[in-house]
Amino acid sequence: MKSTGIIAAIAFCCVMWITGPFPFQIPKGFPPPVYRFQNNPRTKQGFELGRKLFYDGKLSKDGNFPCSSCHQQFAAFATYEHRLSHGFNNQFSFRNAPGLFNLAWEKEMHWDGGINHIEVQPLAPLLDPHEMAEDLNQVIGKLKKDKDYPALFNRAFGSPGINSQRIMRALAQFTASLVSADAKYDQVKRGTAHFNVYEQKGYEIFQQKCAHCHQEPLFTDFSYRNTGMESDSTLNDFGRMRITGRKDDSLKFRVPSLRNVFLTFPYGHDGRFSTISQVLEHYNSGIIPSATLDSSLRNGIPISNDDRFYLISFLGTLTDSSFIKNPLYGDPQAGVRDTPPVDVH
Amino acid sequence: MRKLRGIPFVALLLMVFGFQKNPGVQGTTLIIQFRVFIHGEPLLLNKKYKNPFGETFEISRFRFYAGKIAPVYADTTLKINISPAYHLIDFSDSASTAIKLSAPAGTYSGIQFQLGIDSIDQYRGAQSGDLDPIKGMFWTWNSGYLSFKIEGYSPVSNQPAQVIAYHIGGFRYPYNTVWKIRLDSTNDVPFQVSGENKITIEVAMELDNFFDNTNPLHINEISTCTTPGLLAKKISENFTGIFAGLTIRNYP
Repeated sequence: MKSTGIIAAIAFCCVMWITGPFPFQIPKGFPPPVYRFQNNPRTKQGFELGRKLFYDGKLSKDGNFPCSSCHQQFAAFATYEHRLSHGFNNQFSFRNAPGLFNLAWEKEMHWDGGINHIEVQPLAPLLDPHEMAEDLNQVIGKLKKDKDYPALFNRAFGSPGINSQRIMRALAQFTASLVSADAKYDQVKRGTAHFNVYEQKGYEIFQQKCAHCHQEPLFTDFSYRNTGMESDSTLNDFGRMRITGRKDDSLKFRVPSLRNVFLTFPYGHDGRFSTISQVLEHYNSGIIPSATLDSSLRNGIPISNDDRFYLISFLGTLTDSSFIKNPLYGDPQAGVRDTPPVDVH
Repeated sequence: MRKLRGIPFVALLLMVFGFQKNPGVQGTTLIIQFRVFIHGEPLLLNKKYKNPFGETFEISRFRFYAGKIAPVYADTTLKINISPAYHLIDFSDSASTAIKLSAPAGTYSGIQFQLGIDSIDQYRGAQSGDLDPIKGMFWTWNSGYLSFKIEGYSPVSNQPAQVIAYHIGGFRYPYNTVWKIRLDSTNDVPFQVSGENKITIEVAMELDNFFDNTNPLHINEISTCTTPGLLAKKISENFTGIFAGLTIRNYP
C-alpha cells in the first residue's frame, strides 16, 4: 500500500512537472470568475500556446493582423489612439476595440454582448472580413504546416492534433489569464497605498455619480444601456438590438470597465470621444434623449469643472502599469513594449 | 465464520451486477436514416424543382442539427434516456444522413429528437466534432448554432446572383428556433426494439411542406433569412412540418 502511495505521488509530481502547476489567482476583493477553465484546465503550456497564437499573424488572411494588432499591451490591449481598428485590405473594424483584461469575469463579450463564451470570442475577429478575414480551415492548415505548432499543441493538450476547439481553448487560456488588479486603486484597497486629496475627492464623486453603472471592483455592472449617443449615420449601429432583436434594446451598449481608462482612449462603442473630458462633458450636457435612454440619464449627470478635475485624478488611479509591463503577457518573440511605438499609427 | 459472513454480500453484488447485465440495457443498433423528398420524389441537390407556389428553385446545401434522440415508448410511464449527442445531417455527405445509435430495448411507438441546439448546450464554449464551428453552422458575431441551413438558387430570388439562403437559428426566447420533434411510426405501431434486431428507421422529410405551411414561404418575397428573430422563428415552424413520418424496417 505504502509503495503505491509513493508511486502515485511521484507520478503526480511528474505530471505537474511536465504540465506545470499554473493556478489562476483570483485577486482579493474580486467576485468569483465566470470562466474557471472548465473543460480547459489551465497549464503553462496551454497558456504559452495561446500567447503565441495571440501574437501570430498566421491567424489572419494576409498575415498582417494578429489579435495583437488591435489589442496592444501598452494600451491595456485596446487599440492605441484609434477610433476604429485597422483590418484586412484597408478596412476599419465596426467598433472600437476594447481593452482586454479581467475577461474571466465577463459572461458576455462585445459591445452588444453577442458573444456568449470566452472560448468562442476569437472566432468573431478571425472570420470577420473587415478584421482578420481568415477561414478556419486555412488557419488550421497553416498551423499544421508550421514547424513548431504541432509539437506545441501536443504538449498543451497531451495528444497530437490541431483543430478549432484547441486553438480557441489555447487562446482562452491566455486571454482569461489577463488579470489587471494592481492599479493604485487596488493598492489603496489593499492598504499599501493612499489616495492623494484630489484622488480621494474624485473617488467620492465617482461613487456618487458613476459607480451606479461602473461598479467596483471591476468598474462595470456588465449591463447594456443607452447613454444618449446618437447613432453614427455611416455605421448605423444600434447595439444590443442586433443581438436580441428587441426594440427595447435599441442603442444599448455594454457598460465598459473603467480600469486602465487612461490607456484605452478613444472612448465609446465607435470611439467618438477622444478624451475623458469629452466623455464627462457628454454626461453633463450632451445626452440625446430617445425612447430607450437609460432612466438614470434623463437629466444627464451634472459634472462641474471641479468635479471633472477630481474625477480625472481618481480615474488615473485605475491605470495598472504592472499589467501593461507584465512580461508574461507580452509578445513571446519581441518581448514587452510598454510604450506605443513611434512608427506605428 | 468470516467467509460465511461474506456470502450475502457477494450475493448482493451479483444481484446488482446481474441486473445491470440485462441484455436490454446494452442496446440494439438503431439506424435513423433521414431522406428528403419533393412532391414525393427523392430530392437531388443542384436540380431544378418547383415549389408548391410554382416558383422554380434548386438546393445546393441542406443541413440541420438533430440531437437528444430518444425512444417514444408505447408505455408512456417508462423513463426515457435521452442521448445527449448532436448530429449534423448534411445532405451533401450521405454518411451523415444516417445516425447510428445504441438504443435501449423496449416497445416503441416512435422516436423523438430535437431540431437544433438548445439554450443549455449553446453556452458550452469551443466544441468539436459535429459542433465544430468549421462545419459552417455557427454564428460568430452572435454566438449560436444554426438549427438548419438551406441554400440554393431561384430565378425569382430578390437577392444578388439569384441566391436563396435560409440560415435559421436563434435559441433565445421569444425567437427560439429549437424544436422537439416527435415522430410516430406509420407502418408498424408499436414496434419492438430488442437485442436480436438491427433496426433502421427511415425519416421522410417532405420539402413541399417547408414552403407551404403555417407561414407560407414565397421565395420571391423572402429569399434570405440570416439572423435570429421573428422571421427565423416562423421559418423554423415551417421546417418542423417537413418531417413527414417514420417507416420502420426490421432486419433480423
